[in-house]
Amino acid sequence: MASRPKAADRPAASSLLATLWARSSRVRTVLTVLVATVIVWELVCRLLALPPILLPAPTLVFVDLMKSPDWILIHTGYTLFATLAGFALAVIIGIALAVGIVYSPLLERTLYTLLVAFNSLPKVALAPLFIIWLGTGMSPKIAIALVIAIFAIVIDMVLGLRSVDPDMLDLAKTCNASPLQTLMKIRFPNALPSLFAGMKVAISLALVGAIVGEFVAADRGLGYVILSAQGLFDTTRMFSGLVVLGVLGTILFFLIDLAERLMLPWHVSRRSEAAPAPRHTP
Amino acid sequence: MQDPITPAHEPPYVRIRNLDKVYQSRRGPVPALAGISLDIRDHEFLSIVGPSGCGKSTLLKCVAGLADISAGTIEIDGRNVVAGTPENLGMVFQRDVLLDWRTVIDNILLPVEFRRQRKSEWTDRGSKLLELFGLRGYERRFPWELSGGQRQRVAICRALLTDPRLLLMDEPFGALDALTRDELNFELQRIWLETRKTILFITHSITEAVFLGDRVIVMSHHPGRIEETITVDIPRPRRLSVRETPAFGAYTAEIRTTFERLGIMKKEN
Repeated sequence: MASRPKAADRPAASSLLATLWARSSRVRTVLTVLVATVIVWELVCRLLALPPILLPAPTLVFVDLMKSPDWILIHTGYTLFATLAGFALAVIIGIALAVGIVYSPLLERTLYTLLVAFNSLPKVALAPLFIIWLGTGMSPKIAIALVIAIFAIVIDMVLGLRSVDPDMLDLAKTCNASPLQTLMKIRFPNALPSLFAGMKVAISLALVGAIVGEFVAADRGLGYVILSAQGLFDTTRMFSGLVVLGVLGTILFFLIDLAERLMLPWHVSRRSEAAPAPRHTP
Repeated sequence: MQDPITPAHEPPYVRIRNLDKVYQSRRGPVPALAGISLDIRDHEFLSIVGPSGCGKSTLLKCVAGLADISAGTIEIDGRNVVAGTPENLGMVFQRDVLLDWRTVIDNILLPVEFRRQRKSEWTDRGSKLLELFGLRGYERRFPWELSGGQRQRVAICRALLTDPRLLLMDEPFGALDALTRDELNFELQRIWLETRKTILFITHSITEAVFLGDRVIVMSHHPGRIEETITVDIPRPRRLSVRETPAFGAYTAEIRTTFERLGIMKKEN
């Protein structure tokens, strides 16, 4: 934070990357930690002369990734599609359910109770069932991603829609606001910070769901890459899959974080004063 | 003690008669307001002062049509409030309840949006109100960029936007620091002198009640009832320094004595 004014004084000609580097001490910390981890990992593998079947060195993983980048990219694309489709459906359906639950006492008693009870079930265990219902194509992966991700959305959205200042609702009443106006102009925007908190959890969970689906039955996707490599005892290839998964998960999380910053500057500014630590990590 | 009810020849703007408010709690009914009868004249600044829990906020909610009443009547301009929220009243709360995601001007224009009127027709008035409160040029700022006093000024602008005849203020300066509070007391008086709204002002500060009010209604608690009505005969505009005069001190002493008699404030030895 302290370096901000200094960065603003710099000439505009300096590259975007350099500006980002100078501006964000957080980015610098993350990069430093990552690079250090890779170095330590490499050193451990070399110094202890670990066989690659137990723990391949990062250089080996890198070489493996570079051997067939197109192939990895295609599988990443499948997983990414299932994750994003499941996530998007979870957000749309989750918001609709949350609005229904907040506005209808009947839905609250029935659906919300059911959802909370259902939430304690490990959704991973549902994967074989979805395969029977939906086959082995893309749809069961999307369905599992959706089912795993939707709870975070519904529960955080219900919380957000409910946590409105009662004075604010009184104000709306004295202005003869309709219930729809109160929802759209007060409750919904007020719930956005909660929704984003839920989405940050949900995006990571959707990725878990997609991978679980691919573990159970698939011939493509990163889950398939990892599982088939396990069959061949190709640990290096498994690590390739894991590294790509990690990068994918991190990018997805930070994309949501970025969207939050762009859409809710009022919330982000307040949050950075109060609590620097993020509520959830991927 | 004076009667809180005005003489018959002068029809009041707000007329409250024998108002009871009983809350239903698990341990049975809890009376919050008992036998409240009072009038607010057109263009009058009426302060209500009382300890916390005396039901003064409840009274204000009843007037705004936000809370049911258990017995009695409330009329605004001859129309019964029970039928629905009064057409055009402004409300200011202790917290500013500004919407963080809206700019200052969009916050001020919220009431006309709710009433489905064209925002563009009200923008000029919104800016004028801001100017009146010394916030010229703040239209495009966001609430989180403002101080507590500025935020509350914006909240008052929002309440005044549609030019309501009646302004209900529920401890509007209670959350502000003492200096800002003084400043806003003075500003509110100035704006009231310019606009001559009918204001029902609730506070727990005796000084604030006397400084601002044409009349001060003193309430006691459990249940909330009117103990005393005092007409403040200090010419306007009142300067903040008027609070150090003996005349002002006599009013505050009278209210303090009432609170002491009721056991709300302890007698000093």
